[in-house]
Amino acid sequence: MISIEHLLIYVIFLLYLASMVFYWAARQTPAWMRYASWLAMFGLLCNFLALAYHVAYSHRLPLTNGYEFMMSFVFITVLSHLLYEKRSRHAAAGAAVMLINVLLMVSIMVLMPQQIGQAGPLMPALKSPWLISHVLTAIAAYSAFALVSGLALVKLQANNPADDHDIYRITSLGFVMLTLSIVLGAIWAEQVWGSYWTWDPKETWALITWIIYAIYLHLHRQRGWRGNKARILLIAGFVLVLFTFFGVNYLLPGLHSYA
Amino acid sequence: MRFYNYISSMNAGLILLGLIGIASAIGSSLWPEMFFKTVYFRLLLLLFFVNMALCTFNSIKKLVAGKKRILHNKRQMLRSICLIMLHSGIVLIIVGASLNSWWGHSVQLSILQGDTVEINRIIPVNTPFQVKLLDFSIPFNEDGSPAQYYSTLQVASSGQNELQQTISVNHPLTFAGVKFYQNSYGYLLNAGAEDGETSKDLLVQDGDWISFESTRRTVKVFKYIPHFDPSLGMQTKSLEPKNPRVIYTVYEGEHMLGVGTAPFKERIKIDEQTYITFAQVRPYSILTVKTDPGMPLTAAGGILLMLGISIVLLMPRKKPNRSQSDKEDIAS
Repeated sequence: MISIEHLLIYVIFLLYLASMVFYWAARQTPAWMRYASWLAMFGLLCNFLALAYHVAYSHRLPLTNGYEFMMSFVFITVLSHLLYEKRSRHAAAGAAVMLINVLLMVSIMVLMPQQIGQAGPLMPALKSPWLISHVLTAIAAYSAFALVSGLALVKLQANNPADDHDIYRITSLGFVMLTLSIVLGAIWAEQVWGSYWTWDPKETWALITWIIYAIYLHLHRQRGWRGNKARILLIAGFVLVLFTFFGVNYLLPGLHSYA
Repeated sequence: MRFYNYISSMNAGLILLGLIGIASAIGSSLWPEMFFKTVYFRLLLLLFFVNMALCTFNSIKKLVAGKKRILHNKRQMLRSICLIMLHSGIVLIIVGASLNSWWGHSVQLSILQGDTVEINRIIPVNTPFQVKLLDFSIPFNEDGSPAQYYSTLQVASSGQNELQQTISVNHPLTFAGVKFYQNSYGYLLNAGAEDGETSKDLLVQDGDWISFESTRRTVKVFKYIPHFDPSLGMQTKSLEPKNPRVIYTVYEGEHMLGVGTAPFKERIKIDEQTYITFAQVRPYSILTVKTDPGMPLTAAGGILLMLGISIVLLMPRKKPNRSQSDKEDIAS
């Protein structure tokens, strides 16, 4: 029999998919934007219910394995998008951001179905107060970069260099969160493994991602980098974010293999 | 002077960062075990360190030189100070990590309950002291996986007990600049060997061979299985010792005679007048013992980096035009 959590996952996927289609269609028929936003909000509500249900039976925050991380990541990304849409009254990036979320939901269903509805005991290394701060800042960073890559993708077509202020601000926030996540993770690693940096694949690729965004921020601020070349760099940055999660977890196993 | 200007410039810093990124991506994918220890990679890090140190020095010089002007613009001064903080944070992290790689030590220590270790014999320390493992325990979850590993350590120096503390994963002990981390655990087996008229007590582990005087036959201790389930073969059902067995093989010369699974305290006949009895399992604790003289610098660097980046990038600012933003920056 299908579990409540499985059912919610399918519903979330369908709502985000429908929202993406409506955002896309709204490019021709702006009146459909409202429906796209409502569908995203319903999806977000179901996403919240799935997380709350998981927390209720696991008795811990959903931050400890790939499935929990992904669900929280998608939730924060959609929430950030809706908040940005409301604040900026600019929803053109909706289709691109929802496409990212739909693909992340597909990755949950295809790559980690065995983790849905499961909450085994934590391994001793994960029983640490540093877990929450390290993973929450990573999720905040990844979500900011997902939103930025959606905005960059849409603005890539517009090619208007004067329109990058929001992109810069959101990237800055993501970069701060990524820095905090890396440093807090290093503090935790020192406590648990006796070494704050081991060039483990996850650490290395997080550093590579950090470098890409550091280069963008320097070039934007100091050299006035705007327009499509900056946006391509940001999209490349998000591809690295995805590789840091999927590529490292599935292709380059290391100390973070449980993540 | 031109070289100094270039090596301390933001352009050089960004190129070096990019090279470090590309090298890390290639190294992590192709040679993850050794690439980051190579001279080439370390040279890149050294050049980046020089760039960051000079860049920080120049920023401090500019801040001091333009102090009166900047004092009128508190916002710009705060930004300049935070940029210096974050760049000097990176410098401190690299210095701390270098001190650790030159003078730091880290060793794995396997220790049985009741054993004492002279720490100065395994790692250089200023004040010699001893560590005794008073107790080692592993509570288990319902599914048989380890919930935690606890080692109760007693630290003594010059015959005096200084400290007693239970460490576990995520909760290390620090004494006299030496840190003890709960790393892992292993098993030894108490076994009794009856060999004709004589008998002896043995402490063996997986892979050990037991030989006898009165027969050519030998026994290989193949594997200890804490929770034996015949349907799983040589795989343990869980790590909890609910149904412990020892898998052993008996050889005569090169020729294997058979394989057996022995419960504890069962007398196993190997040959006429030759028997083996596995008595009990003795789990031992594996600790990481570490000194890191660079840690205070690295920690200070991490704090400066987090604070500097957070304030610089999250500080509210007006929507700038290009020329304003260029004028605003003092560092780099």
